[in-house]
Amino acid sequence: MSNEYDVIILGGGVAGMTAAVYTARANLDVLLLDENACGGLVNWTKEVENMPSYASIGGMELMERMQKQVESLGVTVEEAVCIDSMDLSGAVKRIEADDETYTAKAVIVATGRKPVPLPVAGDCEQVHYCAICDGAPYIGKRVLIVGGGNSGFDEAIALLDLGVSELTLVEKMDRFFAAQSTQDALAARENASTRHSTEVLSLNGNGKLESVTLRNMETGEESELQCDGVFVFMGQQPGTDAFAKQLRLDEHGYIITDDVMATSLPGVFAAGDVRPKKYRQITTAMADGTIAALEAERFIHTTR
Amino acid sequence: MNEIKNITDQASSELFRSYNDAIVIFYKELCPHCKNMEKALMKFGAKSPETELYCVDSEVKGDLMAELGFERVPTLIFIRNGEVANIYSGLMNPRELKALHASL
Repeated sequence: MSNEYDVIILGGGVAGMTAAVYTARANLDVLLLDENACGGLVNWTKEVENMPSYASIGGMELMERMQKQVESLGVTVEEAVCIDSMDLSGAVKRIEADDETYTAKAVIVATGRKPVPLPVAGDCEQVHYCAICDGAPYIGKRVLIVGGGNSGFDEAIALLDLGVSELTLVEKMDRFFAAQSTQDALAARENASTRHSTEVLSLNGNGKLESVTLRNMETGEESELQCDGVFVFMGQQPGTDAFAKQLRLDEHGYIITDDVMATSLPGVFAAGDVRPKKYRQITTAMADGTIAALEAERFIHTTR
Repeated sequence: MNEIKNITDQASSELFRSYNDAIVIFYKELCPHCKNMEKALMKFGAKSPETELYCVDSEVKGDLMAELGFERVPTLIFIRNGEVANIYSGLMNPRELKALHASL
């Protein structure tokens, strides 16, 4: 099997899959590599209700449909890939992964973002990043949610629906950022409370979490909260460590692109959440993936 | 391709006694980490056909999880010669999985 492709797409989320559709339909040989299962952050979304075509669809189901479409177009998809190194600087781009060398004329980086970890020493088994995955053991128990954005509030409601006995949500900033309707929905729950301007100082317990120490950032006052589990939804950060020495990144680690998704290296494009942008939605990721793919095609056909 | 066989209602730790070299993944249907771990397991299995791969829906077999003493998913149970050789909760990539399997 040849490992030479026209385009290699790194990342199988919405941006990467859209780029795969467009490049494949341009009759290019395309390889899509993902370090996990394809789907990206949408896999973490229980119901998607803001993408035209479905009034409501499960995130995983949506991404499985996208992957099926991509594979039906002849794109080679490799998941659970361990990428060892890459050289994107030359006319031929090289990627070493899983003891193989893959080459391409153009690369589209669509590696998205990953959840920000809780910056508290003493990480323990009772710290989680996914309510769907890890919520069940906390039925009848007390949990703390860290993060006052849409994810924090949505997951808080999901945990209450599951049957947690008591829930506290804290946000470091001086206000919450979730949609007001979601904030109202949580405020209506008797066994839930919220605190902004509050950070987690420490996780306390002997082998198993027993409490957390919180600090009010305005008054400096510290308090202890009894809880059995912590669920963290503090936003995401770009997965760009592997590109830091090759591509220009901004101060937050996002890959800098122009308006046609071109990066600082010829033939290398970036799309989706991995680049700096104001609105991170499925639809905007699709737009990025489309543009990156069309530009990659143009690059390949105009660069000899 | 080494496929992952589904263990359903008759699953119990006694069943493991019939396995010589096997990995059992406990998962939840809508768990994205489980989906990632399943892909890693399939990749491992493609290169290790001698290892049998099984999956158990944790929401169907919560009693088996309690019996084995864990409550998170994804969790991998490594069986060697009919005995539970290791229990690992959380994510691994195929390379880490291969190394752990080889160390048992």
